Parts: sequence; structure tokens; C-alpha cells
Amino acid sequence: MNKTLGEIHHDRALEIVAISSNCARAGRLAALGFLPGSRVRVSRIAPLGDPISIEMAGQEISVRRAEADLIEVKEVA
Amino acid sequence: MTAAIRTPARAVRIALLGNPNTGKSTLFNRLTGLRQHIANYPGITVEKKVGAMELGGRKIELVDLPGTYSLAAASPDERVVMDSLGGRAGNASPDLIVCVVDATNIKRNLLLVSEAAELDIPMVVVLNQWDAAKRNGLRIDTTLLADRLGVPVVTTVAKRGDGLDDLKKAIVHSLGEPRHIPRILWPEFVDEARDIVLNGLAQCGVEATGPEALRMIFDTDSAFADRAGHKDRLPGILKAAREKIREHGMNPASVEPVLHYRHLEALLDGVISGDGMVARTRDSVDALLLNRFWGTLIFFGVMYVVFQSLYAWAGPMMDLIAAGTAWVQSLISPLLEGTPMIQSLISDGIIAGVGGVLVFLPQILLLFFFIALLEDTGYLARAAFLMDKLFGWCGLNGKSFVPLLSGFACAIPGVMAARTLEDPKARITTILMTPFMSCSARLPVYVLLIGAFVEPTHGPIVAGWTLFLMHFVGAAVAMPLAWIFNRCVMKIKTQPFILEMPDYRVPTLRNVVIRMWERGREFVIRAGTVILAFSVIIWALLYFPRSEEVAGQARASFIAAHQSEPGLADALEDPESPLSKKLDHRIEGAYIEQSYLGRFGKFAQPVFDPAGFDWKITVGVLSSFPAREVIIATMGIIYNLGADVDEESDDLRKILANEKWRDGPRAGQPVYTLPVVFALMVFFALCMQCGATVAVIARELSWSWAVGSFVTMTALAWGAAVVVYQIGSRL
Repeated sequence: MNKTLGEIHHDRALEIVAISSNCARAGRLAALGFLPGSRVRVSRIAPLGDPISIEMAGQEISVRRAEADLIEVKEVA
Repeated sequence: MTAAIRTPARAVRIALLGNPNTGKSTLFNRLTGLRQHIANYPGITVEKKVGAMELGGRKIELVDLPGTYSLAAASPDERVVMDSLGGRAGNASPDLIVCVVDATNIKRNLLLVSEAAELDIPMVVVLNQWDAAKRNGLRIDTTLLADRLGVPVVTTVAKRGDGLDDLKKAIVHSLGEPRHIPRILWPEFVDEARDIVLNGLAQCGVEATGPEALRMIFDTDSAFADRAGHKDRLPGILKAAREKIREHGMNPASVEPVLHYRHLEALLDGVISGDGMVARTRDSVDALLLNRFWGTLIFFGVMYVVFQSLYAWAGPMMDLIAAGTAWVQSLISPLLEGTPMIQSLISDGIIAGVGGVLVFLPQILLLFFFIALLEDTGYLARAAFLMDKLFGWCGLNGKSFVPLLSGFACAIPGVMAARTLEDPKARITTILMTPFMSCSARLPVYVLLIGAFVEPTHGPIVAGWTLFLMHFVGAAVAMPLAWIFNRCVMKIKTQPFILEMPDYRVPTLRNVVIRMWERGREFVIRAGTVILAFSVIIWALLYFPRSEEVAGQARASFIAAHQSEPGLADALEDPESPLSKKLDHRIEGAYIEQSYLGRFGKFAQPVFDPAGFDWKITVGVLSSFPAREVIIATMGIIYNLGADVDEESDDLRKILANEKWRDGPRAGQPVYTLPVVFALMVFFALCMQCGATVAVIARELSWSWAVGSFVTMTALAWGAAVVVYQIGSRL
């Protein structure tokens, strides 16, 4: 039941399962700390639905859904 | 490595390295003050900020490297950090790296530092925003951190200047006794992958360093691989190296951060404790500022203030500069009465040109005042977040909003404001789109033409709407153009739109003032000289050849036409009489008709004929290429009213309305029909008739971009004017 981060529309506690791409954009996200095992949540959604703001380890980073789709997540309790 | 430091002949080079939003530039400003200048890195559009300082009797050259999250590079612009550190591409390798680390986010910030450690250059680590880290409840054991990193660790609050002395001491100390951060120990398979690449490159005869080879493996679309060339063999070599990594169950695109973060995890074990209420204030402010309704409302409110400042508040200052220019002209002009050519050159060419440069300063300074505020408070990132969707589809992004909005007042500050965009592709697109926005210099043309031709026949309401809609012609054409441009023309790789939402911070006056000063100076020195040159060239084209014969003929025909007027001779004796003035205007008109530009206008008229322009409109259009607002004055001269007319002038409107074709197929018909009027307005909406914009684009990007965009916009304007006229005159 894994989803991509780009498919998330609500503020839930999530854990990154995998970076499902080997493109350059995935590399950039990884450099920011989007790595398997990291806890994230979608903290805010822009008024027009995109981009989304993601909170991770105290920092807040906003990305477009197209990029967030490179990240596979699962819900955690 | 360090032998160079001992040669006292040259300045010691120190590079500032760090993520965006770490206060790196604030620290740079603190260390160098106003002893800094901006250059460009060779061959790319990234600006290089270099400053000078003196420490312990040594001259130091400080380079503020562009903020980046990692050394990965997909474009030549991003390669600059690695190239600067590695002493490549015309850069000299630094003697010391000062790594600026955001103390509230140490682990992520150290990724870059850990990557740079590969280059074996001595380092000092600065934990900046130390106050924020303490406020957030972080306890950081700096002694332990310094011990683990093996280099001096200093804590600072750059915006207040705290810790600067410690930093300077640490720098001096490190120059005498260089220390290095231990490199990451790569697992064997990474070393093997690197050797595959190094051996492969050696066989191709390409020289590369170990760190560069690693970058080629780690970065999909590596700009280092692009530079190495050998497009036939290199991809195969890199594939083999990446396969080596994949064999060990790692994704080559993320193996580097994964391993570095693991390394850092161990390194930072026990260093940081008490992480807690990090985001509380940020969260509650964001809840308002990023709210669907309130956030949008506040955004438009803020942007309204920014726009209003450029559009209205800058006005009095600009008027003052214009008045000052006129005052200087009136002061200098009489001194040169004896030599009319020199008088005109100095007064209408040079002084007017300098005035034409300075007049942009109020808008530039105001805009950069607001940008510094918006950026330093952290709001600019929020604004970009709110607006991104509107711009994303055509290759721009949320940060394009401020430059484009500024473009509605003036393209110059708008183009310069595009520096806030980190992504080179989006930045170039934004710069090229900005001149399409309806700047305030287009307004007089619209007001004149709508006032003369739309309002009398269609009433004020239609006139008002026409004026309003004319403002969006440029934007409506520019956005789809940006879309096409991004798909077909731009060869630069797209970067993901990643926006860090920084904590809200109180901006400091010092930083804001330095930003304004830096940009203002930049504009005057770099772009100003080019604008001045344009101004003198166009002056010469309108002035020469100025033969006495032309004036004599104009005078004779004027006197012949006014024979019947009583007291003609007396009136002409008095230079202030209305008839004298009229004669002067007639002579000016004759001069412009005979000038090189006037002759060229007549010669070029057939080019504009499909748009319905006669030679007078053509001359007006051509003479307004350096600055579009000039058309009103040129029209005044051409129609013998003198240069002092404005767009509200009833005389000018009357003359335009009565202007008839003298010869050709349309002889006797009015020149200014509605199709011509709209063709002319559309031409002005789309054409880049602004030498200053060309100069600024050349400065911000390159001359080829500037010329390319000039040619494209001119062609587009011509095409659109022809279409409007041809369709309009058939309706």
C-alpha cells in the first residue's frame, strides 16, 4: 500500500521507503536528506494544489508534486 | 597544497562555502564590508562575489561561492563551486575553505562540507545562526565537533556580527597550521567504480581528478562528464562504474548522500542533543501566510506595495533626476553656444544619456530594498510557494513573480531581480519574458493613441478598457512563447523546483543597504556605460548631417507660407514670438527628416508598409529603439510641434487625426486609421525598444542572449503589427 509522496493530500506521519528513480532530480532530493527511513509529513499544500511543503527533521522544504512522485512513502502510526 | 601560502607575494585566497539560507552572504558582507565587487565566472551566468580583507598583516581575497546543497552539477552553472574549489576553468584553488553551516540544521549542511573534504583543502567550520540554534533548544558540543572534524569550529551570529573575532583568529591560525577534515572512507566498490572511470578517461586522454571522477559517477547528467567530452565512449565507462555500485544493492543516484549521511551520523553521534520546538513560530506564522485565503490576500497586498513603490513612489525621485538633468543642461548649454554641434552632443547626447542612466536608479534601489527585505525575512520563499503553479507550466517558477511584476513598472529592475532565481533555466526564461511586460514607458504611447483615436469615436469606457487590455498583450504573448522556448530552444537541463522554507528572521539594515548599494553600483558601472553609448549613437544619427541648406529651405518655405501674416518680419526677429517658435519647430522637423535616421526611416518605410506605417511613423518607431518613450518627443518634432509635447497634447492629437497620405496608393486617405493605431500599439507592446534593457540583459546573461531577444521581439512586434493591420483593415 505504498504511495508516492506526490500523491499525499493530507498531513500524515510518513516514512520514506525508497527513492524510486535514478534521475538527477532524485539525487538532489537525496542530498537534502530525502533518504529511505527518513520521517516526513506533508505540512502544507499551496493554494493551487501544487507545490507541497514537506517537513523533515525540523526543516521545511517545498517541492512540486512531480518531484515528490520520485519518493515512495508509507504511513506510520 | 599549503606551500603557496608562504609566498607572500599574492593574496591568500579564501572561499566561503555553504548551503543557501545559511547567512553565508551576510557573513561575507560582515567580513569585507564594501570592499567587494561582483564579477562573472568565465563562460557562465553565475555571479562571482569577491571581497578583500586583511588579517594578521596578510592580504586576503575572499570569494563568496554560490549557495548549494551539494557539489553535484547538472549544468555548467552548478559546476562552478567544484571548479572554484578544484582550481579548474580559470579559477585558482583556495588556500582555505570557510564552511558556513546553519547551526539549526547541522547534519544536512555538513553533507556539502563532507563532499568538499574530498578536495583536500584546509577548512574552518562556522556554525552560523548560533542564536537560533540555542533558541530552538539545540545543545551542540562544539569541542567534540571540532575534535571529530579535526578543524577549528567557530560559532557566529553573522547578522549581529557576533563571533567574527573568533572566526578571524581561527582563519589566521589555520593559515599557519592548516587542518583538514578527514575524508569519508568509501567502501571498496566505490573506489573500484572510481578507478574504472579514471582508467577509462586516461585511455581517452582526458585528465580528471578522483573527486571529479566520483562526480561523474554520482551525478546523473553530470556536467563534469559533459565537459570531458568523448560522448561515444564515456557513457559506456560510466555505465560500467554505476553497474559496480548497483551490484552492491545501491542506487547510483543516491549512493553518495546515503553514504555521506551514514558517515555524518557517526561523526555527529553525541554532538547534538535536545532537539525540540524547532518549527513552532514558523508553523504558526506559516499557518497564516500560506493559508489558502489569507495567505493569497496578504501576498497580493505585499506585491501591491512593491509594485506601487516602483510605479508611483519612484516617480518623484525620477522627476527630480529628470529635473536635475535639465538643470545641468541649462547650466552647461549656454557655455557652448558658439559650437552648436558640441553643445548638442554634450547636452542632448551625454548629459541626457547620463540622466537616462540615473533615472533608473530609484526603481532599482527601491526594488532591491524590497527584495532584500522579502528574502531576508524568509517571505520570498513563501511567495514563490504560493505562486509556483501559475508559472510552472511554461518553464518559469514561483520566484518569477517579483521580476515579472516589476517589469510592469520597468524591465530594468525586473531583469536584475531575476537573480533571486537559482535555477539557471528558469532565470534565463524569466529575464527574457520580463521585457514583454507592459512597462510604464509604453503607457504614453497608449495614452496618446487611445486618446486621439479610440476615445473620440468610442467613448471613455471603451478607451479605458482598451488601455487596460493593452497592458496584457505582452504577457499574453510571452507566456506561450516561454512554453515553446522551454521545449524547443533551451538546451539547459531542467532542475527540480526545490524551495527551502527558511525560518522567519528579522532583516538587518546593514544587509539591506549593502544589497541596494551593490546593485545600484553594478547597474551604473556595467549597464550605464552601454546605455550612455547608445544614447550618444542615437543622438548622432538624429543630428547628422546637419547642413545649413536644410534650415534655409525650411525657413524659405515657412516664410512663403506665412507671407500674408501681418508683421511677419518683426515676429521672426523676436525669438520668443509664437511665429519664431513655429519656425524653429519647422526647422527641427526638417533636420530630423534629413538626418541619417530620418533618411533611413524613409528608406525603411516599405518594411513597415504592410503594418500601415508611413515614413513619419517609421522614423518615430526607429528613433524610439533606444528608449520607447522618446516616440512622443520625436513625433512632436516630426509634426513640427517641437520636442516639448506630451501624450496629453491636444495639438499633437489633432495633427495625428488630420494626417493624410501625401502620395502612393493611399494618397489623400488618413494615415491613422484604427487598424494602424492598433498595429502601432501592438508593435510597442511587443518590441524591445529599450537600449537599457538590452544592456542589462547583456550584463545579466550575455550579449548573444541580449541580441537574440532583441531580434526576436522586434520580429515578433513587426509580425504582430502586420497581422493586426492586415486583418483590421479587411474587417
